[in-house]
Amino acid sequence: MAGNDRRDFLIKLGTGCGVCALGAQGVASLRSLVPNVSYDAPTTVKLGAPAEFPDGLKFLADERLFIFRDGNTFHAVSAVCTHLGCTVRAEALSKPETATVGGAPLRLTHQFSCPCHGSHYTGDGTNVSGPAPKPLSWYRLSVAADDGQLVVDLADEVERDFRLTV
Amino acid sequence: MSLPEQAPGVRPRPFWSLRPRSDRDAGDAITSNFLLHWFPAKVSKASMSWTYSFWLGTITAALFLLLILSGLPLLFLYVPSVERAYQSVKDIEYVITFGRWIRAVHRVAAHGMVITVVLHLARVYFTGAYKNGIGRNQKREWNWVIGVVMLLLTLFLSFTGYLLPWDQLAFWAVTVGTNIASAIPWIGPDVRELLIGGRAIEQATLIRFYVLHIFFLPAGVGVLFAYHMWRVRKDGGLARADREEIAETSRPVAVVPTKTYTLLGVAKGTAPTVTARSLEAANTSVNAVPDLARRAMIATLGTIAVISIASVFIASPLEEPANALITPNPAKAPWYFLWLQEIVTDTTIHLGNFTINGAFIGGVVLPGLLVGLLTAWPWLDRSPREVTGEWFPRARRTQNIVFIAIMVGILLLTYIGMELRGPYWEFFWPWETWPSVPGRI
Repeated sequence: MAGNDRRDFLIKLGTGCGVCALGAQGVASLRSLVPNVSYDAPTTVKLGAPAEFPDGLKFLADERLFIFRDGNTFHAVSAVCTHLGCTVRAEALSKPETATVGGAPLRLTHQFSCPCHGSHYTGDGTNVSGPAPKPLSWYRLSVAADDGQLVVDLADEVERDFRLTV
Repeated sequence: MSLPEQAPGVRPRPFWSLRPRSDRDAGDAITSNFLLHWFPAKVSKASMSWTYSFWLGTITAALFLLLILSGLPLLFLYVPSVERAYQSVKDIEYVITFGRWIRAVHRVAAHGMVITVVLHLARVYFTGAYKNGIGRNQKREWNWVIGVVMLLLTLFLSFTGYLLPWDQLAFWAVTVGTNIASAIPWIGPDVRELLIGGRAIEQATLIRFYVLHIFFLPAGVGVLFAYHMWRVRKDGGLARADREEIAETSRPVAVVPTKTYTLLGVAKGTAPTVTARSLEAANTSVNAVPDLARRAMIATLGTIAVISIASVFIASPLEEPANALITPNPAKAPWYFLWLQEIVTDTTIHLGNFTINGAFIGGVVLPGLLVGLLTAWPWLDRSPREVTGEWFPRARRTQNIVFIAIMVGILLLTYIGMELRGPYWEFFWPWETWPSVPGRI
């Protein structure tokens, strides 16, 4: 009996070690597929001197961002549809209207539509129809300390009362 | 020294023929031929009927074979890198001799396989072939589950292949598809990041989809296919064979002059008549070689011929190179996912301030529910075993109608997505022309 106990124990030990070794190798192989480094573009981007922006709207394809200018105030609205991430398109309104956005008046010159599933947004990014579950994001704009360019922080979403006055 | 004597009739003879002159020859063809070793010795005529199974499983397998064959040359020609993928597909299309045809065969066979897999599933459903009939140790319900997994693998194979040309069509279909994954609560964004290897569709995504497409998914389908066929054999062939066995009772049959009957069989009737169940009767079953082999060859070669010829005339699309900055308008998913795209468009729910993204309901909950129901159906189906292997039996009328209704709904949504959705996913009747959309500002 004693001999059998030892044999059983060694069989279990051997099997257990084998399973653990295979498991560890499996985990190591799978872990290698989870990226440690992301080569995504930086979230803080210099966009150019404020004077270069036209009155109204400018679309920045690389950042998928709309920059609005009204005199010397600026704000930035994301062009990424909140439904499934397609890039929305801007259409100019036939005549601009003024609405109160985030407690402050805002001149609305455009509206947005998504080509993938037909979501529609008003000029301040509010979702009005289609499957989009929430409004387009607004991002923080600032002025670079060194050369005075406009800077957007794509990691910093702001409330819709945000305006940058230069 | 003499060779040890072999037991007569045990060891197959080394030669075999596809035109056997005796039952013995027919059996040898199966036991000594690698390609035919998975065939039964005898097969009932009813289960070989063209109009019972429409041979959809065989056609699907033939398409899979054709996909592997046409994929092999493409492996040498395609470069899975974001800088060169598009150009290499363009070369396959316009520069390489026969490249256009090989790519067309691969693409047409892939679309065809999606169709035949679904038709095969529908056939098995309508005939209740996932039900166990009379055989011992049948586990047909598990073979159905394997089939559902292979359907999902087929769709994923098709979807991963869709990205590889790295054109606009590919890029945005995959953008939308992978964003659906991120609509899963809590783990969604992580699932998407693992799937595409980062936060944006980039080189990491391309190589992941490529490796899945050329190795892991086909290997998975291959292994499951082998198991699927093995289970068919273990379960006693097609469900139709069970049906024969259930429906038929013993009846007198003509004596086969060359066959030795047991004493019991002879003693039962007045010699020389015997009674037999249908499967044992010589007039209802045939040798697998040549009859089954011949039909399998017809189905396989016919499929290959049809696809190869059709591919001469069907051009494969290649749009502009992928551009993350411009979303085409309208941007559509692959056709077999358009019903889902249509649903994710229509299912965003607003309850006061509370909003559920349509991507979650239409992209996760609903397909999950459908696949779950499909998988569990053999255990939910309470119809009697007597209707196993019968087309549209009365006892299964309700479930067949529901199944048809769901299929028609999916087809309808697919049609709407394919034909009736224009710029900004607006609805247009076929006779309406799409408005010209202003370009990007």
